[in-house]
Amino acid sequence: MADLTQQLAQQIQQACATNTVLKIQAGNTKAFLGRDTLGEVIDVADHTGVISYSPTELVIRARAGTKIALLNELLSQQQQRLPFEPPSFSGAATIGGTVAANQSGPSRPWFGGVKDSLLGLGLINGYGEVMQFGGQVMKNVAGFDVTRLQCGAMGSLGLITDVSIKVLPQFKANYTLTFEMAAEAALEAMVRWANLSLPITGMCYLQVQGKSRLHVRLQGGESGVASASQFLGGEQLAPNVADEFWQALREGQLLQPQPQQTLWRWSGPRDAPIHSVPNTSLINWAGSERWVLDDASVTPKKGLIQYQGGDRLAEVYGALSAPQQALQQRIKHAFDPHGILNPGRLYSWM
Amino acid sequence: MDTVPNITDSHANQGSQGKRVAALVTGLQELLPASSVIMSVESQRPFECDGLAVYQQLPLITVIPETVDQVQAILRLCHFHRVPLVPRGAGTGLCAGAMPNAQGVLLVLTKSDQILHINHHTSTATVQPGVRNLALTEAVAPFGLYYAPDPSSQIACTIGGNVAENSGGVHCLKFGLTVNNLLQVTIVTIEGQLMTFGGEGLDEPGMDLLSLMTGSEGLLGVVVEAKVKLLTRAPRVQVIMAAYDSVTAAGDAVAALIGQGIIPAGLEMMDHLAISAAEDFVKVGYPTDAQALLICELDGTEAEVEEQLALVTECFKQHGAQQIRIAKDASEAAALWHGRKAAFPAVGRISPDYYCMDGTIPRSQVGYVLTRISELSQKYGLRVANVFHAGDGNLHPLILFDASIDGELEQAELLGGDILTLCVDVGGTITGEHGVGLEKMPQMPYQFGDAELAQFRRLKAAFDSEELLNPGKGIPTLKYCQEYRSLQHG
Repeated sequence: MADLTQQLAQQIQQACATNTVLKIQAGNTKAFLGRDTLGEVIDVADHTGVISYSPTELVIRARAGTKIALLNELLSQQQQRLPFEPPSFSGAATIGGTVAANQSGPSRPWFGGVKDSLLGLGLINGYGEVMQFGGQVMKNVAGFDVTRLQCGAMGSLGLITDVSIKVLPQFKANYTLTFEMAAEAALEAMVRWANLSLPITGMCYLQVQGKSRLHVRLQGGESGVASASQFLGGEQLAPNVADEFWQALREGQLLQPQPQQTLWRWSGPRDAPIHSVPNTSLINWAGSERWVLDDASVTPKKGLIQYQGGDRLAEVYGALSAPQQALQQRIKHAFDPHGILNPGRLYSWM
Repeated sequence: MDTVPNITDSHANQGSQGKRVAALVTGLQELLPASSVIMSVESQRPFECDGLAVYQQLPLITVIPETVDQVQAILRLCHFHRVPLVPRGAGTGLCAGAMPNAQGVLLVLTKSDQILHINHHTSTATVQPGVRNLALTEAVAPFGLYYAPDPSSQIACTIGGNVAENSGGVHCLKFGLTVNNLLQVTIVTIEGQLMTFGGEGLDEPGMDLLSLMTGSEGLLGVVVEAKVKLLTRAPRVQVIMAAYDSVTAAGDAVAALIGQGIIPAGLEMMDHLAISAAEDFVKVGYPTDAQALLICELDGTEAEVEEQLALVTECFKQHGAQQIRIAKDASEAAALWHGRKAAFPAVGRISPDYYCMDGTIPRSQVGYVLTRISELSQKYGLRVANVFHAGDGNLHPLILFDASIDGELEQAELLGGDILTLCVDVGGTITGEHGVGLEKMPQMPYQFGDAELAQFRRLKAAFDSEELLNPGKGIPTLKYCQEYRSLQHG
């Protein structure tokens, strides 16, 4: 547990003075995301520790290098949880990287993503200036929302030093129901059930080895979950089997590309017909997120993100309109005028 | 009616600026139907302030476009002629964020009031910026849906304004603010360019510009369309009222409830003065001898609510509630809420004027902060009624004053400023949901350091390098901060 903020700031000031390109890294679990880039590693891994945690305030504040696994453990001692259920990638993922890469788990449509739980953060910009935005309170609209702007920025606007996160109580009851059904029927069921007032916290359709199955997770108070389970029917999974399934989904283990394959991600309205995203083998988030596994040779798919595998020097996040590109370049310049923080990680031109 | 534009008197003969303004006016008149261009002093009077009426200013010219094309053309004209522009929805904001600029255009978006699309399969709606918050909830009610953010002004305030201010309401603890209920916005930049941020799905790749736009107070762009998330109405909603003999006891009950893992849909607190004023006004049966009142709303399925109701009642009792009332039906629930929602006008009845503050604090500091507010109230000789969103620590102290008494408004503003800095001192913020606008500019350098403020200014410049969008609001200039600090230390 150490506060390395000043050292990290000095490293960036030094890089700024010498125009040295930096690559921000902590757990190094997300190298497969974004574009491949070069740069001198600035290591946040030892900048760890929980700065404050008050269970009755529902807020935890931790340094960026603090591991998700540690936060989960600490919160669970107080019967609390991270609402956005991020992956922990074999225990090595950190909270800073999770925010920068915007990593949310199966509960995303019901409990929000990273931005919905993020209350504030510390940031070192490309000048090496240490700054704080947002705070530890639930509502805060003073100044521009630089905090949430960092979600998905992949470190291109600054090095995150610490984050404050809203946490929620753990659920008392936890059921998973499964249904044997084809993709179209599963999607129809997900869209229909998502509109009912039920304690659903996960809906995922998976097609693997010829088997098609819809998984529905119910979490909440015992009686609410039990009555919802009765209403939905299906087959109830044993708790350990259910936990394994949702964990594998969260950790991205259900659909892993082989060396010659690319994993594509689509995100859109949950009622988009099955055929609008051909060859889907996994539907998550009640239909809002769909995954396609393909040969790496396949050309870019319109509207899909080249999530994992394939050519990592390509524009994996697709193209932006010329005005949007120019705006994002100006925003990048506002934070990092010398372009030394993770250049090219999001887009080749940024 | 005075039809002479005030520009001819004050600007036309002032050299190049006058010429620019005259050219802008001609351009706007060519662009828009006559009914969309307002120039007379008399007709512009209703637009001279927003919900914070102590700040007033007539604009140079007011335009009320009907189409996105017109909005784009207006922004292009302002950009070309380098004339400031202030966007405005219904003008219900409480921080003078929509106060016009004397040298600028006031862009009123209330004619863009169409709900473009409701999709009950995805529980989303696409709306124009002038759609009223409550009108949206009413329009989607037949599908069993509603729009969660519900600021007190929901009957009048617009979605565009809600996006600009990141508006909250009484259900934020469970359902979030505007930023948590938005999927996509389309804005017009100062160059007149259309841009869309966010998307139809969840978590689009790249930096989160949708969140950056939310709460940016009209400083970065003008919202012309928003796609919002709708929620399914719970089958059961249960309201519970609990009365306490001290605010500390009520505050402890709130902390204990949340500590037990219960997140109510709404959890509100009122202090003695607010309770009495509300009861006198709407007579809903609040115990006027109580020092603090909690109003708690639970929602969910029948089974979920029954389970939580037992826990909540037990928790309130354990923390010394003098009285607990469980609403028997929808009308009793509505009555209990009515008192809380009428608290502002109720306070308006017991004082010629009131000034509403909006700090947020960690919940654990509620007792301390209310005690300090009471001391400050005595120091300034002005009464303060406290109404607040106890669940999320968002305070709305209402400072009672009489503007007709010389100097009393200034005293109220000083007291308000002291309350805001107190919120920062205990780890909170100067604004939870009302925004900075013009009103809280003095406190910005108190909450933020020079590096953060400079970063805000560089970010602003990335969108609007000539500072034409809502200038003088939200983010103080370096000069402003230096003057503020020298005053504080001088």
